[in-house]
Amino acid sequence: MKGKKKQKFEDMQPAKKANPVVQILMTIVALIYLFPLFVIVNYSFKTKKELYLESPLALPKSFNLENYVAAFKKLDMQVTFVNTVVYTAISVFILAILCGVTAWAIARCKRKFFKFCYVYFIVGILIPYQALFLPIYIIGYRLNLTNTRYGIIFMYVATGISFGVFLMTSFMNTVPIELEESARIDGCSVYRTYFSIVLPLLKPAMATLIIMQAFQIWNDYLLASLYVSRNQLKTLTVSISSLFSAQSSDYTTAMAAIVISVLPIAILFMSLQKYFIKGMTVGAVKG
Amino acid sequence: MEKKMFRQYLTLVIPGLIIFTIGIIVPLTLSVRYSVTSWDGMSVEKPFVGLQNYINLFKDKEFLDAFWFTIKFTIGNTIIQNVLALLFAVALDSGIRAQKIYRTALFVPCLISALIVGFVWLKMFSNVLPEINKIFGTKINFLLFGSSETVLGGLLIANNWQWVGYWMLIYLAGLQSVPADLHEAAKVDGANAVQRFFHVTVPMLAPSITICVVGITTGSLKVYDLLVSSTKGGPGRASTSMIYQTYITAINGRQYGYGSAMTVTLVLMLLLVAMLQVNSLRKKEVQM
Repeated sequence: MKGKKKQKFEDMQPAKKANPVVQILMTIVALIYLFPLFVIVNYSFKTKKELYLESPLALPKSFNLENYVAAFKKLDMQVTFVNTVVYTAISVFILAILCGVTAWAIARCKRKFFKFCYVYFIVGILIPYQALFLPIYIIGYRLNLTNTRYGIIFMYVATGISFGVFLMTSFMNTVPIELEESARIDGCSVYRTYFSIVLPLLKPAMATLIIMQAFQIWNDYLLASLYVSRNQLKTLTVSISSLFSAQSSDYTTAMAAIVISVLPIAILFMSLQKYFIKGMTVGAVKG
Repeated sequence: MEKKMFRQYLTLVIPGLIIFTIGIIVPLTLSVRYSVTSWDGMSVEKPFVGLQNYINLFKDKEFLDAFWFTIKFTIGNTIIQNVLALLFAVALDSGIRAQKIYRTALFVPCLISALIVGFVWLKMFSNVLPEINKIFGTKINFLLFGSSETVLGGLLIANNWQWVGYWMLIYLAGLQSVPADLHEAAKVDGANAVQRFFHVTVPMLAPSITICVVGITTGSLKVYDLLVSSTKGGPGRASTSMIYQTYITAINGRQYGYGSAMTVTLVLMLLLVAMLQVNSLRKKEVQM
């Protein structure tokens, strides 16, 4: 079925003639979308003198890394960058395992309880955690989760799990059930069936999940700013905000910090893009 | 045998259920409980005040302003983002060259933190875009964050720059699963491009439309990060969202009981809107 659909899609391609007007219009749109990105990078290489004396659109005269060095020092990046990597990596790893097994159990076990579980998790998508920031903050200090590494990781997992389960459940229909049944006849336990048969087939879904969760957690501001106030535990996004709030005109440093903070996620996206697009196609359509 | 499998499946679901319950459901019920008290966040006792907090909400001008700003921002986003995302998806799906490059260019902004997006657009409006006036000698007002009339427009531009590419990708995925022979059949029947779009493409896209509409709405109702770094809720209180107002009331003003009532109100709004949207949109899906 899937192969057939793909075939049709490929057959369809030559029939579609590229309209040059559409091509030109979309080029303009793409350039407009890229323009702020250009502005960020351009600013990040400017010297203070160039910032004050020249047009914001003028290119910097030399490839100067001063702002990057300043951003690294000001944001204490050997601490904040590592913190952000650790929180994101561990949370996403836990989410990948947890959402996969939860969604699979929900999709395969037809009992009423599992249907209830699905609805229960979905409530979390309709209520984004930002709306619940106040009680999440209150429960955080009641359970002594604030200002700890495991506390914020726990919260990232809790706030990400709904979307993950939703995404993975919509994927499970693409995993052929016959394979699992034959594994079970061979005497595989439920766990073994999942990890050796199902998981390898979930690559696009996992790539989608990893990217979606990674950029949410990496970019999170509200939760990180409420949960972590000690300097050694701060995240990159929270410390960048200190460059914004100061009414300083020193925004070349801020722009360099932005480039540094966006790069890891951009690289992750580029490297998983192939699977991610596939994942979106299956996941979004099944809904 | 079946029972053993059920138990094994159960062990797979339980950890997620526990984490989700402690992290989301318990806080949700707590906020309902706190919302009927006048708790200040520190003292042990939480004086019970009944529904007084909710009654006060409807008389609180600051909260009502935040409520209307959030509604306007959400409606604006839902319309603009859906239309642009679908339009761009159809354009990219029309067989243009180098589709992947366009797709990436439009998608990348959503990988950036909303906090950063707010700051970047602050600088765009105040420093970068006015250069266009200098170059072309035009007099376009780019200082959108400067006055309370234009601040909503400025925020909509920033938010749409960030998110259109994401929803476009979902529409694109939906479009690519529309079977080509449906279009062929419609063509044979004499339908023109516009008719084919509304009678073939749109109905086939119904599941994607549901996801995008609900996603954009819930995403807009929770706006906060974007405001912190750009307008700080201003000028005046012109761009204070419901979450921003809750933050000011509870965290800065130490009115945890009252802030909880705001949280519960927002949650009820989110659930109500999502239910209405899913119900009406799903009906359309069945019809086709």
